[in-house]
Amino acid sequence: MTRQLLTGNAAAAWAARLARVDYVPAFPITPQTEIIETLGRWIDAGELAARLVTLESEHSMVTAAGAAAATGVRVFSATSSQGLLYAMEMLYAVAGWRAPFVLVNVSRGIAAPITLEPDHDDVLAARDSGFLQIHCSTCQEILDSILLAHRLAEDSRVRLPVIVNFDGFTLSFTREPVEIPDGDAVDRFLGPYDPENVRFLASKPISQAVAVMGGGPYSYFRYQMHLAAEAALGVYDEVAAGFAAAFGRRWEAVETWHCDDAEIVFVMIGSFATKARDAVERLRAVGERVGLVRPRLLRPLPVAALRAAVAGKRGVAVIDQNLSLGRGGVLHAELASALYGQPDAPPVLASFVGGLGGRDIGLEEFRRMAAETRAAADAGRAPPPRLLYTSGELRELRKLQGIAHAERAELRRAAPASSDPEAS
Amino acid sequence: MYRIRLHGRGGQGIKTASRILGSAFFSEGFEVQDAPRYGAERRGAPIFATVRAAREPIHERGVIARPDLVLVGDATLVPVAAAGVLLGMAEHSVLLVASDDPPEVWKQRLRLAGPVRTLPASDAERGGLATVGTACAAAAARLVGVIRRGSLESAVRAELADLEPVVVERNLERALDVFERFAALEGSVREGPEPQILALPDPEWIDLPHEPARTSAPDIFGGLTSVEVRTGLWRTLRPVVDREHCHRCHWVCTTFCPDGAIRAAPDGTPEIDYDHCKGCLVCVAVCPAHAIRAVPEQEAERGAGEGAG
Amino acid sequence: MSETHYRRMQDLPSTHLLGSGTAMCAGCGGLQAIQVIYDVLGPKTVFVNAAGCMTLLSVYPFTPFQGSWLYTSMASAPAGAQGVRDALDLLVAKGRIPPEEDLDVVVLTGDGAACGMGLASTSGAIDRGLDFLYVCYDNEGYANTGQQTSPATPHAARTATDALAGGFAGEKKDLFSIWAANRPVYVATAVGAEPVDLARKIEKARGLSGPRLVIVLAPCPTGWGFDPAESIEIGRLAVATGVFPLKEWEAGRVVHTKVRRPRLPVERYLERQARFRHLFEPVRDEAALAAIQARVDAYWESVE
Repeated sequence: MTRQLLTGNAAAAWAARLARVDYVPAFPITPQTEIIETLGRWIDAGELAARLVTLESEHSMVTAAGAAAATGVRVFSATSSQGLLYAMEMLYAVAGWRAPFVLVNVSRGIAAPITLEPDHDDVLAARDSGFLQIHCSTCQEILDSILLAHRLAEDSRVRLPVIVNFDGFTLSFTREPVEIPDGDAVDRFLGPYDPENVRFLASKPISQAVAVMGGGPYSYFRYQMHLAAEAALGVYDEVAAGFAAAFGRRWEAVETWHCDDAEIVFVMIGSFATKARDAVERLRAVGERVGLVRPRLLRPLPVAALRAAVAGKRGVAVIDQNLSLGRGGVLHAELASALYGQPDAPPVLASFVGGLGGRDIGLEEFRRMAAETRAAADAGRAPPPRLLYTSGELRELRKLQGIAHAERAELRRAAPASSDPEAS
Repeated sequence: MYRIRLHGRGGQGIKTASRILGSAFFSEGFEVQDAPRYGAERRGAPIFATVRAAREPIHERGVIARPDLVLVGDATLVPVAAAGVLLGMAEHSVLLVASDDPPEVWKQRLRLAGPVRTLPASDAERGGLATVGTACAAAAARLVGVIRRGSLESAVRAELADLEPVVVERNLERALDVFERFAALEGSVREGPEPQILALPDPEWIDLPHEPARTSAPDIFGGLTSVEVRTGLWRTLRPVVDREHCHRCHWVCTTFCPDGAIRAAPDGTPEIDYDHCKGCLVCVAVCPAHAIRAVPEQEAERGAGEGAG
Repeated sequence: MSETHYRRMQDLPSTHLLGSGTAMCAGCGGLQAIQVIYDVLGPKTVFVNAAGCMTLLSVYPFTPFQGSWLYTSMASAPAGAQGVRDALDLLVAKGRIPPEEDLDVVVLTGDGAACGMGLASTSGAIDRGLDFLYVCYDNEGYANTGQQTSPATPHAARTATDALAGGFAGEKKDLFSIWAANRPVYVATAVGAEPVDLARKIEKARGLSGPRLVIVLAPCPTGWGFDPAESIEIGRLAVATGVFPLKEWEAGRVVHTKVRRPRLPVERYLERQARFRHLFEPVRDEAALAAIQARVDAYWESVE
């Protein structure tokens, strides 16, 4: 075992290498391109016995990934944002093929407007597709989660593809210390790919992914995918226990920090959750009883573990780095539906939306979110949802709007000293 | 509420028939809901349509579980389980079949409690003109007794407006003729009893057990299961080989049959798989010796054994 | 002509591999061609399908194939073929399956997928030198959804979306030339009504490696408006009038495999189909008919 500084992308590539993936259909997109470039170099150097093929779009890439898995090989691929959405039709399709593989999504905000920086709108758009989802907050976690994901996907009780998500820039291009597991130990943990009976062989004709007419039969196939996804919760715990035994790192479906005696907890996923953990520790140091709940699995949603983590708390602040336009934060709504009517459910569930397009969330914002949630708990009433944004940010934006000749009455009324071109 | 189902094959005008009936009810002041149900676009495949008509706005939807009237434009569908022609027939339900066989024969054949009516083919229909859909709609209009002749006429004209005038006139002629023929049965179809929600049996809900993908993947583990689908039931005309005139040419008909339903016996005689032959009659058209002829299916059934493949 | 098993109709098998009982329309020209094609290719194949009429060849739990089948999506069948082909190659190379378990990969799509949204994935597959056969059954419209105009719809054809007046005002897309411009290994056109020509082309394609693409005209009784019994005759007339040239492309050279001299007037083909009836009734549209004839004449003048 060796501990090295690796970017998130490099950690992902290492995991695919250790998993001895056979096939890597690829298409470049910021911020994941390094993953496939790294794998390509290793393949060319003979260090990885796989085939990497560049398709002409992500829709085709995911088709090829599913088709190769449905033929009988271990498949790994990666995409992001616009690419994930371009493939969206095929995410649903290949999940229904029950041919497992691992797709890394390096999360990035979605157009429009187009950006390169991270948030979770892209990966959450796939939450209904049948792909399982694991969310990482460190580079170590990325490597480990991809290995876990292959095991999970390939389990007979599951046989669904898995998305492993990590944030662009904050993880993809950021180096952190990563323990690279021993190859033999990974071989023992993962084993070879077993296609079971979903494969193509001349001696065993099979018609795959055929049309199904009739609500009864169609419902059966869709319900079975759902039941498999739910069964994946139990399978995940087994797999994670096996991983911990082999490699000494325990990755729970839901991680908690300082929740036991917390009155107010944050709920957050992804790389910014470490910022929440940092804030929790600093707030604790000044006497605040706060904690952090960090779900790693979002599909299936670990409902029981989430309920247990927040049971009896006075207030919960869900911090969504995503925004369902017209509704609000996705995790907030999911948690609310999981908690409704449950005994010991916290009486106040506050929604905060921030971090879109990589917008930073400062320590002072965590402090204030905790404070507002506590005040709401005291008042016995959930606060209205808050979109995190400061007056300073708005001032800066006005300057940009001025340059862009945006039509705003406020700009025209601005004092001449602001050198606002609209003020003349 | 009147709950009416129409059954036929793609291409027979069953959807149009449902709209003629729906429009006729509508012009009589009823609230109406009419809808066709089919799989993909397939001429010859079974389809059905539903018509609901009531004095109040209609909220129920979908398949009609207990029809007051079932109209069957193609009698060959009756034995086809998947066509569901007899689904939900209750004591009060009336069945009307487009058939030259008399009603007593049908009633006995199907052992139905309720009345059976038949609609013999017109000479024009026997000659190939497709007005059976319109005829069914007209019969239904008279049987329910709340649709006047004028409403039927305007409905036919409205629904067939895109067709050539001579086709419209032929359909109208047929419709009005049928409307007159069923005068004695006017009003014999009544609005059936409303479903008694408390009396309905309990839905037998289960917790669907999780089955691993090796069982529950949408795959067919093997080949050639399609032969279990008897597409021979699509047929209204059957090709029959005249062995005396067949030249055993090796083998035009076997090559050109789109469904691969003709094979050559060792001596070169073509054998037609009547379980699957759809009656497209390509073989009749391509046979260089003109040794294959088309026989109406019902006639062929009566003369069983003739030219059997 | 190199070795071929198919010189005469008698060389075609009289029993067919493809199972009956499928839901294609009675008289389907596409299905008839696939009978010939499947007999030549055999069951050591996996057909990778894009959305279209033939998707309904297999509806759970029924399949007519003695080999294998994978439905993908409308736009990405060639990408599905890529995944299957690469995976089979990997399995054989790594000794995880014996070579006799290998399969030939065949893409089967209609003209809608081939000429429109499938062009990108086809282009990509050719760029990558994918070893596959692409069979496009061309019924000149989005037939499965009711015969709406597709890029392969011919000039003046009436369709569900060009239902009035002069029918479709555009021209049929030249898929053959588009594919050939991508420089694959083999491109051909064929029709089930000329089964020996079709069988030879499929046999030839089968013996080559790399991207091989065949367009098969599929006369469609439901969409084109003719009696199902005339399905073969319509196919023959398409060739005899010169409307549908039978040809092959290899290494930059185009060879016509069946040339009828003299050609029948295009009217003989058009007048049999309801989609062109407006050219004849209520009055003959001489200008439109002459334009269609001129276009066909110009094509043949350019190649002869």
